[in-house]
Amino acid sequence: MYHTSRHPLTDATPIDRLLDRLLSDSGVLGPLGAHRMGHGEDDHEHAGDAEADILAQFAEQADDLHERVVHDHGIFVAEFLGATGSGKTRLIERLIERAPDDEEIGVIVGDVAGEDDATRFRELGVSVANVNTGKECHLDPSLVEGALEDLDLDVLDTLYIENVGNMVCPADFPLGAQARVLVVSATEGDDVVRKHPLLFQACDGAVINKVDIAEAVNADLDLMESDVSEIAPEMPTFRTSAEHGDGLDELAAFLDERGHVHASDHEAYVAGTGHTHAHEHTHADGQTHEHDHSHEDGHDHAHTHD
Amino acid sequence: MHEFSIATQVLDAAREAAADHGADTFEGITVSVGDASHVNPDQLETCLDAAADSTITDGDLTIDIETEPAYAECACGWSGEPGEIDRALAYAPNLTCPECDARLELQAGNECRLMSVTLPETDDGSDPDAAGSPDANTTD
Repeated sequence: MYHTSRHPLTDATPIDRLLDRLLSDSGVLGPLGAHRMGHGEDDHEHAGDAEADILAQFAEQADDLHERVVHDHGIFVAEFLGATGSGKTRLIERLIERAPDDEEIGVIVGDVAGEDDATRFRELGVSVANVNTGKECHLDPSLVEGALEDLDLDVLDTLYIENVGNMVCPADFPLGAQARVLVVSATEGDDVVRKHPLLFQACDGAVINKVDIAEAVNADLDLMESDVSEIAPEMPTFRTSAEHGDGLDELAAFLDERGHVHASDHEAYVAGTGHTHAHEHTHADGQTHEHDHSHEDGHDHAHTHD
Repeated sequence: MHEFSIATQVLDAAREAAADHGADTFEGITVSVGDASHVNPDQLETCLDAAADSTITDGDLTIDIETEPAYAECACGWSGEPGEIDRALAYAPNLTCPECDARLELQAGNECRLMSVTLPETDDGSDPDAAGSPDANTTD
């Protein structure tokens, strides 16, 4: 898929015009446009359409992934992120265990090193693509793209992506999922939400896990939940004990709903990926895709709640 | 530390902008980092410096990092820079609209932009690319 943001075929971009003007006005090239790009309100027009948003390039890659996996193959994709030890793996295991037998599930497991989590998922009989990121602290769209080679997209109904355990870096790297769920646990301290506010703002749902031992570690769950609603207004929060399988019904229903809502409201997804204001062209492209029947099929196999 | 991936992309974009104007290198860049992005400006500068050393310039690259405040527009008509969440222990914009309590979506301040690229002067001080043709003076 070709996006025109970085290589305009027709009109010169504003940065080109700035370069041209400086090149033709003078042999001495100063910093281009820096004096024009202040922080005042009046400068938003310039700042909004003038330059390459580096993060938007990652968002566009995520949109491409989304088109391919969600729309071309009708797969429901949910990403789980959070600190090492927050319970992401256990939570996904519980979701797999409760899925109907005919639901074909794949998992992309991001870890700095090792096969431990991948082995746990394989033992549950699902398809697994393990991504060892080495020194990289997050999955990015191209790593996910590579991992898809290990999965048969034609048969999958659901794809879970477990990001590398990290509370900062994944935030600017969306992966094209319909639901981005941040998992924190009572054991991380009840100020964990306030410590990572921007990450919460970048997600669609929050899980507070290990609620069964909150009292033992003196964590105030109500405080954590009110922090979430203050920092990320309208974002749903779920209290779970993945270890004991408690609280999974509500989370599964939320994921199910994200899939269904998405099927009829692609624009809401696109609007929610951020960085949209400067990159309408990407979305104009996305709008040309029909939501075909295979997409609906994917969600027929979504989680049931019995 | 995800700034290195971002630094690499910034330098790619700068290299392309320079190449479009017949320059095979560049001497300076200005990058704008949104306050509400997850990019640490200091780390980005370090990474740009390190990545540029190995790939781009002969000498030092002049790196100018600006920050951009958050900016939101609400469907109710309110617009401006959202306040900060005082309870949060790190900076976060308050995404509750002060007028109508709906959730705000940021229009700016969550980005990382390449704002400008400084090209080297040519030997004779003349314009290397007056016609604006990208390949007029490409040397590679």
